[in-house]
Amino acid sequence: METQLNQAIAQAALNAGARVNVTWRSMNGDLPDPVRVDATDAELRAMITEAVRTGSVPGIAADPRADFTDFVLDRFAPTAVRPYHLIAIRPKTPFGAP
Amino acid sequence: MIETGVLIGFEGEPLFWLEPPGRSATSIPDTRELWNRIWEHRATLQGFAHSHPGGGMPWPSHEDLTTFAAVESALGRRLIWWITSRNVLAQVFWQGPKPHDYDVMAQATRPRWLLELRARTDYEGKNLWKLS
Repeated sequence: METQLNQAIAQAALNAGARVNVTWRSMNGDLPDPVRVDATDAELRAMITEAVRTGSVPGIAADPRADFTDFVLDRFAPTAVRPYHLIAIRPKTPFGAP
Repeated sequence: MIETGVLIGFEGEPLFWLEPPGRSATSIPDTRELWNRIWEHRATLQGFAHSHPGGGMPWPSHEDLTTFAAVESALGRRLIWWITSRNVLAQVFWQGPKPHDYDVMAQATRPRWLLELRARTDYEGKNLWKLS
Protein backbone atom coordinates (compact mmCIF):
# COMPACT_ATOMS: atom_id res chain seq x y z
CA MET A 1 0.00 0.00 0.00
CA GLU A 2 2.78 2.39 0.98
CA THR A 3 4.78 1.39 -2.08
CA GLN A 4 1.79 2.10 -4.34
CA LEU A 5 1.34 5.49 -2.68
CA ASN A 6 5.01 6.37 -3.19
CA GLN A 7 4.80 5.29 -6.83
CA ALA A 8 1.72 7.46 -7.31
CA ILE A 9 3.47 10.45 -5.78
CA ALA A 10 6.54 9.87 -7.94
CA GLN A 11 4.38 9.63 -11.06
CA ALA A 12 2.54 12.82 -10.14
CA ALA A 13 5.85 14.64 -9.68
CA LEU A 14 7.03 13.33 -13.04
CA ASN A 15 3.85 14.50 -14.76
CA ALA A 16 4.10 17.92 -13.12
CA GLY A 17 7.48 18.48 -14.76
CA ALA A 18 10.61 20.05 -13.29
CA ARG A 19 11.15 23.50 -11.91
CA VAL A 20 14.24 25.19 -13.37
CA ASN A 21 16.31 27.53 -11.22
CA VAL A 22 18.71 29.93 -12.92
CA THR A 23 21.58 32.05 -11.58
CA TRP A 24 22.97 34.80 -13.79
CA ARG A 25 24.87 38.02 -12.98
CA SER A 26 24.20 37.56 -9.26
CA MET A 27 20.45 37.30 -9.88
CA ASN A 28 18.40 34.20 -9.28
CA GLY A 29 15.00 33.06 -10.45
CA ASP A 30 12.89 30.20 -11.79
CA LEU A 31 11.65 29.69 -15.33
CA PRO A 32 7.95 30.65 -15.30
CA ASP A 33 6.82 27.23 -16.54
CA PRO A 34 7.91 23.71 -15.62
CA VAL A 35 9.86 21.70 -18.19
CA ARG A 36 9.86 18.03 -19.10
CA VAL A 37 11.82 16.06 -16.53
CA ASP A 38 13.58 14.19 -19.33
CA ALA A 39 14.55 17.29 -21.31
CA THR A 40 18.16 17.02 -22.47
CA ASP A 41 20.91 19.34 -21.27
CA ALA A 42 21.09 20.88 -24.75
CA GLU A 43 17.32 21.55 -24.78
CA LEU A 44 17.43 23.06 -21.31
CA ARG A 45 20.47 25.22 -22.06
CA ALA A 46 18.74 26.59 -25.17
CA MET A 47 15.51 27.28 -23.23
CA ILE A 48 17.33 29.01 -20.39
CA THR A 49 19.50 31.10 -22.71
CA GLU A 50 16.46 32.30 -24.63
CA ALA A 51 14.55 33.07 -21.44
CA VAL A 52 17.37 35.11 -19.87
CA ARG A 53 18.13 36.96 -23.12
CA THR A 54 14.50 38.02 -23.47
CA GLY A 55 13.94 38.82 -19.80
CA SER A 56 11.44 36.00 -19.25
CA VAL A 57 12.83 34.83 -15.91
CA PRO A 58 11.27 36.66 -12.95
CA GLY A 59 14.06 38.11 -10.82
CA ILE A 60 16.64 38.20 -13.63
CA ALA A 61 17.03 41.30 -15.79
CA ALA A 62 17.15 40.67 -19.54
CA ASP A 63 20.68 40.16 -20.83
CA PRO A 64 20.92 39.79 -24.62
CA ARG A 65 24.49 38.48 -24.22
CA ALA A 66 23.67 35.70 -21.74
CA ASP A 67 25.69 32.59 -22.55
CA PHE A 68 25.39 29.34 -20.58
CA THR A 69 27.89 27.33 -22.62
CA ASP A 70 30.16 26.67 -19.62
CA PHE A 71 27.35 26.04 -17.15
CA VAL A 72 26.31 22.72 -15.64
CA LEU A 73 22.79 21.38 -15.07
CA ASP A 74 22.20 19.69 -11.72
CA ARG A 75 19.08 17.52 -11.48
CA PHE A 76 17.42 16.81 -8.14
CA ALA A 77 14.67 14.24 -7.59
CA PRO A 78 11.63 15.16 -5.45
CA THR A 79 11.98 14.87 -1.68
CA ALA A 80 9.53 14.94 1.22
CA VAL A 81 10.38 18.62 1.72
CA ARG A 82 10.39 19.54 -2.00
CA PRO A 83 7.80 17.37 -3.76
CA TYR A 84 8.86 18.28 -7.31
CA HIS A 85 11.83 17.73 -9.61
CA LEU A 86 14.33 20.58 -9.57
CA ILE A 87 16.90 21.43 -12.22
CA ALA A 88 19.47 24.09 -11.33
CA ILE A 89 21.96 25.64 -13.72
CA ARG A 90 25.26 26.86 -12.31
CA PRO A 91 28.77 27.65 -13.62
CA LYS A 92 31.12 24.72 -14.02
CA THR A 93 33.95 24.56 -11.48
CA PRO A 94 36.73 22.19 -12.62
CA PHE A 95 40.38 23.29 -12.82
CA GLY A 96 43.45 21.95 -14.56
CA ALA A 97 43.67 19.41 -17.31
CA PRO A 98 40.26 18.62 -18.87
CA MET B 1 51.38 16.38 -5.00
CA ILE B 2 47.68 16.95 -5.43
CA GLU B 3 45.91 20.06 -6.75
CA THR B 4 44.10 21.99 -4.03
CA GLY B 5 41.99 25.16 -3.97
CA VAL B 6 40.86 27.78 -1.49
CA LEU B 7 38.30 30.60 -1.55
CA ILE B 8 39.73 33.91 -0.32
CA GLY B 9 37.76 36.68 1.40
CA PHE B 10 38.26 40.46 1.16
CA GLU B 11 40.59 40.44 4.18
CA GLY B 12 42.72 37.68 2.69
CA GLU B 13 41.18 35.07 4.94
CA PRO B 14 40.64 31.50 3.70
CA LEU B 15 36.89 30.85 3.49
CA PHE B 16 36.75 27.29 2.18
CA TRP B 17 39.39 24.69 1.31
CA LEU B 18 38.56 22.75 -1.85
CA GLU B 19 39.83 19.17 -1.56
CA PRO B 20 37.19 17.02 -3.28
CA PRO B 21 37.46 13.31 -4.05
CA GLY B 22 38.77 12.67 -7.54
CA ARG B 23 41.34 15.47 -7.65
CA SER B 24 44.79 14.62 -8.92
CA ALA B 25 48.22 16.11 -9.59
CA THR B 26 46.83 17.85 -12.67
CA SER B 27 43.16 18.59 -12.04
CA ILE B 28 40.35 19.36 -9.61
CA PRO B 29 36.95 17.98 -10.71
CA ASP B 30 33.70 19.92 -11.03
CA THR B 31 31.80 20.12 -7.73
CA ARG B 32 28.50 21.71 -6.83
CA GLU B 33 29.96 22.29 -3.37
CA LEU B 34 32.41 24.92 -4.65
CA TRP B 35 29.68 26.87 -6.41
CA ASN B 36 27.50 26.68 -3.28
CA ARG B 37 30.35 28.16 -1.21
CA ILE B 38 31.07 30.87 -3.79
CA TRP B 39 27.40 31.86 -3.76
CA GLU B 40 27.27 31.75 0.05
CA HIS B 41 30.29 34.07 0.35
CA ARG B 42 29.61 36.19 -2.74
CA ALA B 43 29.34 39.46 -0.77
CA THR B 44 32.80 39.08 0.81
CA LEU B 45 34.64 37.04 -1.79
CA GLN B 46 37.91 38.39 -3.22
CA GLY B 47 38.94 35.41 -5.29
CA PHE B 48 40.04 31.82 -5.52
CA ALA B 49 43.50 30.26 -5.42
CA HIS B 50 44.56 26.84 -6.65
CA SER B 51 47.80 24.96 -7.09
CA HIS B 52 49.52 23.61 -10.18
CA PRO B 53 52.20 20.92 -10.36
CA GLY B 54 55.92 21.71 -10.61
CA GLY B 55 57.80 24.96 -10.27
CA GLY B 56 58.14 28.21 -12.23
CA MET B 57 55.47 30.55 -13.53
CA PRO B 58 52.07 28.82 -13.42
CA TRP B 59 49.81 29.46 -16.41
CA PRO B 60 46.05 28.84 -16.47
CA SER B 61 44.78 25.96 -18.61
CA HIS B 62 41.87 26.38 -21.01
CA GLU B 63 39.74 24.57 -18.42
CA ASP B 64 40.82 27.15 -15.81
CA LEU B 65 39.95 30.11 -18.06
CA THR B 66 36.51 28.83 -19.00
CA THR B 67 35.75 28.14 -15.33
CA PHE B 68 36.91 31.65 -14.34
CA ALA B 69 34.65 33.22 -16.98
CA ALA B 70 31.62 31.07 -16.12
CA VAL B 71 31.83 31.79 -12.39
CA GLU B 72 32.24 35.53 -13.01
CA SER B 73 29.22 35.49 -15.34
CA ALA B 74 27.08 33.87 -12.67
CA LEU B 75 28.35 36.23 -9.96
CA GLY B 76 28.09 39.34 -12.10
CA ARG B 77 31.51 40.58 -11.03
CA ARG B 78 35.21 39.90 -11.49
CA LEU B 79 37.41 37.96 -9.06
CA ILE B 80 41.14 37.53 -8.59
CA TRP B 81 42.28 34.03 -9.56
CA TRP B 82 45.59 33.04 -8.02
CA ILE B 83 47.59 30.04 -9.19
CA THR B 84 50.63 28.81 -7.32
CA SER B 85 53.38 26.45 -8.35
CA ARG B 86 55.94 25.09 -5.94
CA ASN B 87 57.77 28.44 -5.88
CA VAL B 88 55.85 31.11 -7.83
CA LEU B 89 52.49 32.71 -7.13
CA ALA B 90 50.62 34.31 -10.05
CA GLN B 91 47.52 36.48 -10.19
CA VAL B 92 45.16 35.93 -13.08
CA PHE B 93 42.52 38.52 -13.87
CA TRP B 94 40.22 39.40 -16.73
CA GLN B 95 41.64 41.99 -19.09
CA GLY B 96 39.18 41.70 -21.99
CA PRO B 97 37.75 42.41 -24.36
CA LYS B 98 36.90 38.76 -25.12
CA PRO B 99 35.39 36.48 -22.45
CA HIS B 100 38.56 34.42 -22.02
CA ASP B 101 41.13 37.25 -22.27
CA TYR B 102 42.87 36.90 -18.90
CA ASP B 103 46.28 38.35 -17.95
CA VAL B 104 48.79 36.52 -15.77
CA MET B 105 51.15 38.41 -13.47
CA ALA B 106 53.63 37.11 -10.90
CA GLN B 107 52.87 38.29 -7.37
CA ALA B 108 55.88 39.13 -5.20
CA THR B 109 54.02 39.35 -1.89
CA ARG B 110 53.09 36.17 -0.06
CA PRO B 111 49.53 36.14 1.25
CA ARG B 112 49.02 34.38 4.56
CA TRP B 113 47.15 31.45 2.97
CA LEU B 114 49.97 30.61 0.54
CA LEU B 115 52.03 28.41 2.86
CA GLU B 116 49.00 26.36 3.85
CA LEU B 117 47.89 25.98 0.22
CA ARG B 118 51.34 24.68 -0.72
CA ALA B 119 51.39 22.40 2.32
CA ARG B 120 47.96 20.93 1.48
CA THR B 121 49.14 20.49 -2.12
CA ASP B 122 51.94 18.36 -0.70
CA TYR B 123 54.62 19.36 -3.21
CA GLU B 124 57.17 17.30 -1.35
CA GLY B 125 55.05 14.13 -1.37
CA LYS B 126 55.09 13.81 2.40
CA ASN B 127 51.47 12.69 2.61
CA LEU B 128 51.33 10.13 -0.18
CA TRP B 129 50.13 7.55 2.32
CA LYS B 130 46.95 9.57 2.83
CA LEU B 131 46.00 9.26 -0.84
CA SER B 132 46.22 5.50 -1.10
